[in-house]
Amino acid sequence: MKDLRLERDVRTETNKIEARGVQVYYGTNHALKDVDVDILDKTVTAFIGPSGCGKSTFLRCLNRMNDTVASAKVQGKITLEGEDIYDPRVDPVQLRAKIGMVFQKPNPFPKSIYDNVAYGPKIHGLTRNKAELDEVVESCLRKAALWNEVKDRLTAPGTGLSGGQQQRLCIARAIATSPEVLLMDEPCSALDPIATAQVEELIDELRSQFSVVIVTHSMQQAARVSQKTAFFHLGHLVEYGETGTIFTNPKDPRTESYITGRIG
Amino acid sequence: MNTDRHIATAFDRDLEGVQALVLRMGGLVEAAISDAATALETRDEALAEQVRAGDAAIDALEEQVNAECIRLIALRAPAASDLRTVMTVMKIAASLERCGDYAKNLAKRSMVLSQMHTIEGAAGSIRRMARQVGLLLKDALDAFIARDVDLAQSVRLQDRDIDQMYTALFREFLTHMLEDPRNITACMHLHFIAKNIERVGDHATTIAEQVIYLATGKLPADPRPKSESVIAGDI
Repeated sequence: MKDLRLERDVRTETNKIEARGVQVYYGTNHALKDVDVDILDKTVTAFIGPSGCGKSTFLRCLNRMNDTVASAKVQGKITLEGEDIYDPRVDPVQLRAKIGMVFQKPNPFPKSIYDNVAYGPKIHGLTRNKAELDEVVESCLRKAALWNEVKDRLTAPGTGLSGGQQQRLCIARAIATSPEVLLMDEPCSALDPIATAQVEELIDELRSQFSVVIVTHSMQQAARVSQKTAFFHLGHLVEYGETGTIFTNPKDPRTESYITGRIG
Repeated sequence: MNTDRHIATAFDRDLEGVQALVLRMGGLVEAAISDAATALETRDEALAEQVRAGDAAIDALEEQVNAECIRLIALRAPAASDLRTVMTVMKIAASLERCGDYAKNLAKRSMVLSQMHTIEGAAGSIRRMARQVGLLLKDALDAFIARDVDLAQSVRLQDRDIDQMYTALFREFLTHMLEDPRNITACMHLHFIAKNIERVGDHATTIAEQVIYLATGKLPADPRPKSESVIAGDI
């Protein structure tokens, strides 16, 4: 029998992002404590852990979203392909074009479906003319598995789509700037199971081109979509490893307690 | 092993429920093996019949274990040690069901043998072997309850004794058959009985290995010591 797993076995062992000794403080609150992690290229990495464990905080460090929080202080080193992303010469806006983000609640711009996707390429000057832009919009909507549903109403407002469609529109928007890494902060928690399955399928497809990092409260989702799982607890990265191993035989008792639904 | 309670207490009840079923199966199988061996030695056909009929209850329990494990997987999506517990429970139930079949076979053969003349010493040796294997099975299940890796390891090692008892009996029966061809039918039955009891020992070993997997997440890597095998050339 044909092994279907091989078709999408695009895992590499190349590090895309390397984080070393990352500490985050919100005022006096030490939210993230000494996190070291390597995010692999062309791999889905899931961050799991109870609320307030630091997983979203860490995700937001990866594209400097914490810069926008006045009280947040980030220490340590995070590199994207060897380049320090906290180097003063790095423009956070350019960085976020390379490291895209999708949020928990679908947040399309109050613009047309077309403009939602075209916005990034336009402001970053990634296309030379309308024809090229059209092409980018179509290919991103196709990659986000939304093209067939919206191709006849590209001028309609993005906010008029269903929740699941809006979230896929946000994914199309995030990948329109050809990012290298896609960060997703609970991208399915506002979606129904069918839309969730569609987004999960999309994540698995996107993995052939991007490194995807997903924060999720659903352990089953982490198990379904990721190849690597990191478990955060009280600001510490407790355990990081191959998803199958984490869910069958975790090393740390705290990981075990959390994934089996015990009080940890 | 994690012994904390789940946040969902119904999950704990479900997990404890399937484990209790498997232990009940274990109790029935231990009794069936011991009763069948007694029936053979005392030529007690009523007891043998009771063992034969009792196997249906063991089979029914296995079905119940499987149904509840499937339900547990579907509804609770167990992970890590919980998942290993469910898988182990299913494998132990399958092993016990086979052991129940061997006990039933022993009972059926003892009914046939009770119509034949006795083979000197054989029934006693079979009963001793059956008692030994019953203790092994009990140890394997105790190791399961306590998630006791050391006890499970000792079961793996002790299975060698059962194998040696089988080899000795095999030679004894062969000698009887060579001495007098009229012994052949009885000795063939006795040999199958000994072989089946030896297989119960193998299942006890399988259970012990599952317990090691359950407790550590890994099957034992070291091959267990094998005793000499029975091949015609040895005799």
